[in-house]
Amino acid sequence: MIHVNHLSFSYTKQPFISDMTFSVSPGEIFGFLGPSGAGKSTLQKVLTGMLASYQGSAMVNGVECRERTKDFYEDIGVDFEFSALYEKLTARENLRFFASLYEKKPCPIDELLETVGLERDGDKRVSQYSKGMKARLNFVRALLHDPALLCLDEPTNGLDPANSRMMKDMILAQKAKGKTILLTTHNMQDAAELCDRVAFIVGGRICALDSPHNLIMSQGAATVTYTWLENGEHSAACPLHRLSADGQLKRLISENRLQSIHSSEPTLNDIFMDITGRTLI
Amino acid sequence: MRLRSLILWDIRFQARYGFYFLYAVLTAIYVAVLSAVPEGGREKATAILIFSDPASMGLFFMGAIVLLEKSQRTPAALALSPVRAEEYIAAKVVSLSAISLAVAAVLAAAAGVGAGEHGIVKLHIVLPGTVMSSAVFTLLGIIIATRIGSLNQFVLWTVPVELVCFVPAILHLFRAAPAWLRYCPAAVCIDMVSGHAPSPTGVMTVMALTAVLFAAAKHCVLNMWAQMGGAKL
Repeated sequence: MIHVNHLSFSYTKQPFISDMTFSVSPGEIFGFLGPSGAGKSTLQKVLTGMLASYQGSAMVNGVECRERTKDFYEDIGVDFEFSALYEKLTARENLRFFASLYEKKPCPIDELLETVGLERDGDKRVSQYSKGMKARLNFVRALLHDPALLCLDEPTNGLDPANSRMMKDMILAQKAKGKTILLTTHNMQDAAELCDRVAFIVGGRICALDSPHNLIMSQGAATVTYTWLENGEHSAACPLHRLSADGQLKRLISENRLQSIHSSEPTLNDIFMDITGRTLI
Repeated sequence: MRLRSLILWDIRFQARYGFYFLYAVLTAIYVAVLSAVPEGGREKATAILIFSDPASMGLFFMGAIVLLEKSQRTPAALALSPVRAEEYIAAKVVSLSAISLAVAAVLAAAAGVGAGEHGIVKLHIVLPGTVMSSAVFTLLGIIIATRIGSLNQFVLWTVPVELVCFVPAILHLFRAAPAWLRYCPAAVCIDMVSGHAPSPTGVMTVMALTAVLFAAAKHCVLNMWAQMGGAKL
């Protein structure tokens, strides 16, 4: 679906994207992770054909992005981080308007509204919608023409836990339908939960690219931390895979002297910091 | 098909924002004002009124429309859709020209523009003149509105445009301008709006200006779309 080969881009003399190479398969959820200003939005703009003056190659759906025509967008749906809807129109009118811009037969609007729980609010003006409702409507706007590729920019940003859960379930439902999804985010939990593979982007470069599971495992397995009393409280940690070799732990267990014991796996965020030396802000 | 849809939705947006209601009220007021003008000056007063409001409404309303669209970030969605800049611009020009045309028709008929001794209002000249003026002003409005970020900036930018467009036209209408000015597009337009048949050279001048403005408007819309999509160009 997407083939990027030695892609570089800059607005100035400083490179914004440097020598990126990766591919995204059909039906995959691929995440771009990085702090603000890392270059992930710039990369998404290249892949959506908004920036043509790049070096290297960026092929989407078999089309070189710099040579795209407007027909390129018949098969791409973009969900922005912000609402991009006509506030004076109702939700149903907004969807009818955007559907009329495509050659393809649109998905049934009532069904789309139902999938995001807005069927009863379809005739309300968008100006009366809450942020969560706008986010859901924005999402189905991107699905109207049943695109093969979905580009989602911070889809859960600013949403409450219930709306965030609903949004993530909708993204997974689209993956189940076979859509390819590009997810731009700095939310590591979302990325770990949703993405098949993620690319860590810092300073316009891909620092690591793999599945969240492999990235976590590559930096060492989980550790077990335990505490016991012996002239005050003491604690020690041991890698999970070397637990049987920890004589002290064995002794404390046999003497029933453990105060507490728990395992802790590194998160994707820990891995990101280990690899890039940066935090996600 | 897409152009037709864009035009119809633009008309719907304009109706939703009260443009049609506003112009229904304004037209009634203008007709009342024109009926109070002595017959000798009515034709020129009508020409000035049509030229300075319905024909040039695109200049002012494009500021409001484009700034509103920018505030709702819908240009970003249009930029990443199959809509072409030419279709977006043409829809704006056609939808605003429709209001201009309706208002100009009522005013010209009410004031009897160009009626002469036979009493026939020259709508076949007034209305094409209104459409040509409306297209020029709407394109100017798009060029300005896509490049600015606030209504204050828009008002400031429209001042020089108004001076360049209105002063030669008014001077020409009152025969106070040099002869060469009759080929100025603004003079050609106000001539037509006042019911006078234009010369082929005059029409060609307006057509050429419209083509140049359309190309400039396309460039500005593409820039706006790229920037709304987040690209710094």
